[in-house]
Amino acid sequence: MAEIASAFREGSVDADGFRIRYQEGGEGPPLVHLHGAGGLRLTPAHDLLSRAFRVIVFEMPGFGSAENQRTQTIKDLATTMNAAAEALGLSGFNLMGTSFGGAVASWMAVQRRDLVATLVLDAPSAIRPEGSEPVSGSPEEIACRLYAHPERVASSPAVEPVLAARRLAIVRRLRGPGRDTVLEEGLRGLAMPTLVLFGTRDGVIPPTMGRVYKELIPDAHLVFIYDAGHALMVERPEAFTEVVTDFLERTEAFIISRMKTVIYP
Amino acid sequence: MKVSYFETGRYQAPADIPAIWPMPAAAYDAAEGTRVFQGMIERIALAQELRFDWVSLSEHHYSPRILTPSPTVAAAYVAARVHKIKIALLGPIVSHSNPVRLAEELAMLDTMANGRLVVGLLRGTPNETLTYDLNPRESRQRTDEGMELILKAWTEPHPFGWQGRHFRYRTVSVWPRPLQQPHPPTFALGTSREAAEFAARNRIGLGVSYGPFELMGRVTRYYHEQCAQHGWEPGPDQIIFRANIILTETDTQAQRAMEAYPARAPFSLGEGVAAALLNLDARNIAGEARPASVNRALPINFVGGPDTVVDQIRRCREVIGAGLLDLGFNTPGTNDPAALLDALDRFGRTVLPRIRDI
Repeated sequence: MAEIASAFREGSVDADGFRIRYQEGGEGPPLVHLHGAGGLRLTPAHDLLSRAFRVIVFEMPGFGSAENQRTQTIKDLATTMNAAAEALGLSGFNLMGTSFGGAVASWMAVQRRDLVATLVLDAPSAIRPEGSEPVSGSPEEIACRLYAHPERVASSPAVEPVLAARRLAIVRRLRGPGRDTVLEEGLRGLAMPTLVLFGTRDGVIPPTMGRVYKELIPDAHLVFIYDAGHALMVERPEAFTEVVTDFLERTEAFIISRMKTVIYP
Repeated sequence: MKVSYFETGRYQAPADIPAIWPMPAAAYDAAEGTRVFQGMIERIALAQELRFDWVSLSEHHYSPRILTPSPTVAAAYVAARVHKIKIALLGPIVSHSNPVRLAEELAMLDTMANGRLVVGLLRGTPNETLTYDLNPRESRQRTDEGMELILKAWTEPHPFGWQGRHFRYRTVSVWPRPLQQPHPPTFALGTSREAAEFAARNRIGLGVSYGPFELMGRVTRYYHEQCAQHGWEPGPDQIIFRANIILTETDTQAQRAMEAYPARAPFSLGEGVAAALLNLDARNIAGEARPASVNRALPINFVGGPDTVVDQIRRCREVIGAGLLDLGFNTPGTNDPAALLDALDRFGRTVLPRIRDI
C-alpha cells in the first residue's frame, strides 16, 4: 500500500497577513478541508477523497511551526481562512471542517455564503455540552478519546510538547462558548446543503449534538458513522468518504440509493 | 422475583414426524397449527390470571418446536387478546433482520399493547443463519450493529443516515415512536462478552439463558463490572434468566419426568452441517470460548416438586442476580396440552407466591 497521501503536495498562500501552508491532492471540484485541534494530519480519507476532488487541506495559522497571537476569535480565524481560499482563486467550493475546524467552517459559511457552495461538518465542535474539554494528554490518552477502537489505529507520530501546548492554547483561546447564540443565528440563515457527521462512539463531542445542527441549519443532513469515535477520517475512512463524496456530488438526492442488489443477472 | 412465561407455540408433532431441521413443509398439519395459536391465547390468559409478570415469545424458523418465526406478528396477536400481562419479545433475531423494520414494528407493538412491550435483542442460534442465508461469521457483528441502530432509530428526533459496516441507510425516521419513552425496557440477550459489553455501554439489560447457575453468574458478574466501567449499576430487573423447568407435585415425579427428557434436540441438523456450523460460529461465555449448542437438547434448570424448585430459585437468585425468570415449562413423556396448563397452574399456585420476596 502506498504511504498515506503520498500524492499530496505542499504549497503556501499569503492571506490576511499570514503565510498559510496547505496540502493539495487530486483533481475535480475543489474541496477545502480544515483540520481539527490536533493540526494538519493527512489521513487515508484524504487519499480517497482526492480520487473525486481537488482536495486542499489548510493548516490554520497557529497550528503549525509559526505562532499566532494575533487571531483573537474564531470569527477572525474564519475570515482569514475565507481569505486564504479566495487567494487560491477558489469560489463556490465545497468546505469541510473537522471538529474545531468544523466550528471554523461553520463561521466561514455564515460569513461568506457566496463562497461556500456545500458544507460538511465532521464531528464539529461548534456546539458543545457544558464542561466539554478539548483533547489533550499523552498519545495513549489522546488515542482513547479520539477513537472507538484505539487498538486498531496505527499510533501517530509523537507531537512535540511545545507544539501540542501551543495548539491546545489557541483552541482554548478561540473556541468560544459551547452555545454561541450569534453563530447559531447565522446557521439558521444558511442556504447551502450541509452534511453533519458524527461517530456513534464519539468520546469528545456527544453524537447527540448532531440533532442541534439539524434544528438550526435549514438544509442539514445528519449521518452517523457506526462504531467510530471522534476521528472519523482515521477510523472509518471508507465509510466516511463514501457518504461525503455522494453528498457532495448529489446533495439532498444522496438519500436515493444507487446500491445494486442483483446477485445474478 | 418476577416471572415470565415463555410461550413457544407448542405444536404437538406426531411421533412419526422426521426428527430433522429444517422440517419439510409437507409434514405440517394445518388443523394442529390452528390449535397451536388458539392454545397460545388460552395459556397466556391463564398465566395472566396466575399473575405471571410477562409472557415471552421468541423467534425460530422451519420447525414445529416454536411456531413463531415472526415474534412481532405473534405479539400483535397476543396484545389484541390478552390485556394486562407484559409482552416480552426474547427476542427478534437482529442479525438477519432489517434493524429499521424491527425498530418500526417494535414501536408499533408498544403502542398497540399500550406500553406493555419488553424487548430482547438476539443474535440467534447457529442454525438460524441458514434461514435467511446469513454468513455465520458475520452474525455477531451484524447483531451488534443492528442493536445499536434500533436504539438510535428509537431515540433520534430527526431523520438521520447510518454508515454502518453491514447496514446503510440514508434517511431513518421511525413512526410511530414507542409509547414507552425513550424506549421499551430493552435487553441484549446472550452470554457472550460482546453482549454484556454492548448492554453495559448502552445502559440496557442483559438476558442470559439455560446455562448452569455458576456459569451464568460469571456472565452477570462480567456485565456488572462492565456497567461499573460505564458509570452505572444495573438492578435485578435488568437481568433476565431464561430457563427450563419441570415442575411436578413431588420430587419423585420430577425425577421420572427427567428420565423421559431427551438428550438430543427434537429436530436436528445433519451432522455435516452441524459440524461445519460449529466450526464457523464462534461463541463465548463472558469471554471464554465455548462451542455453540447444536443438536443438543437444552438443559433443564429447575426440576422438582414445589419446595425443591423454590429452593433452586432462591439459589439461582443468589448466584445469577437475575430479578426475572423467563420459564419454559416442560412436560416430558406426554403430548397432552392439558399437562402444560397443569404445570403452569401448579407454578402459579405453589411456587409463584413463595418467590415474590426472593
